Amino acid sequence: MALNILIVDDSQIVRSVIAKSLDLANVAVRTLHQAGNGAEALKILVSHPVDLVFADINMPVMGGVELVERMSRDDHLWSIPIIIVSTEGSATRVEELKGMGVRAYLRKPFKPEAIRAVIDEVVGVPNANG
Amino acid sequence: MQTGNKEVVSEVFCSVIEQIAFMFAEVASLEDMAGMDQGFVEASMSFDGQLRGRLSIAVPKDACALIAGNVLGMEPDDPFVTTGAADSLKELLNVTCGHILTSLAGDRPVFDLSIPQVVDLDEEAVQALLAAPGTVAFRVEDAPVLVRLELREG
Repeated sequence: MALNILIVDDSQIVRSVIAKSLDLANVAVRTLHQAGNGAEALKILVSHPVDLVFADINMPVMGGVELVERMSRDDHLWSIPIIIVSTEGSATRVEELKGMGVRAYLRKPFKPEAIRAVIDEVVGVPNANG
Repeated sequence: MQTGNKEVVSEVFCSVIEQIAFMFAEVASLEDMAGMDQGFVEASMSFDGQLRGRLSIAVPKDACALIAGNVLGMEPDDPFVTTGAADSLKELLNVTCGHILTSLAGDRPVFDLSIPQVVDLDEEAVQALLAAPGTVAFRVEDAPVLVRLELREG
């Protein structure tokens, strides 16, 4: 099954790197949505089917923590798995986020193998080669 | 800046730029950087928590596009790369900052990080950066790069 993935990061470069990593990791993607902050992400989430969200923490307008809180309180969005992609290395922060429902944490910089491993852990890896 | 902190900045910056941009950095002497007259851009961000302060990375404008090209695996003159050059410098700063804080404070503290900002530096500002305590100079593919960690008391 190919995934509908939403990448949320205020950096176009980072969004491109994550998209390229998904390709290099041979992850089957049906639709790749992109948002520059949590508020833009919520608009996409309520209007498009999304199977998995990659989100940064530190973004203008609405950061990743508030996005996770909003999704966890929403009857339709709470079950969508969220993977946080961040430079922060605080184990305390990771524990807090997992307590809020975040399924996995990927620390930057990362290799394509790491993104594949984390998707495998969260949803099972759909292989692009079928 | 304490000598130990400079070592952490050096180790982390060299490791991060190799991992995200596949570029090799080596520490250079600040004296070798004197007289630079290229146009520089500087990305900076502040952090607050167990440690408080600011981290900045200054690079020549040409090198900024080179870094972006390497991050994306594209040619530096590709329009997508040139428009995203400042973005890539912010990302290099962001990742470097996260890893420096973990190296200095361990993996328990939580820090509030500001959104990175990018500004142009004139020659006077570059010379001030060279003279500032806490600045570490690097050569990245022959380009000069200045990284400054400022830690504030309290």
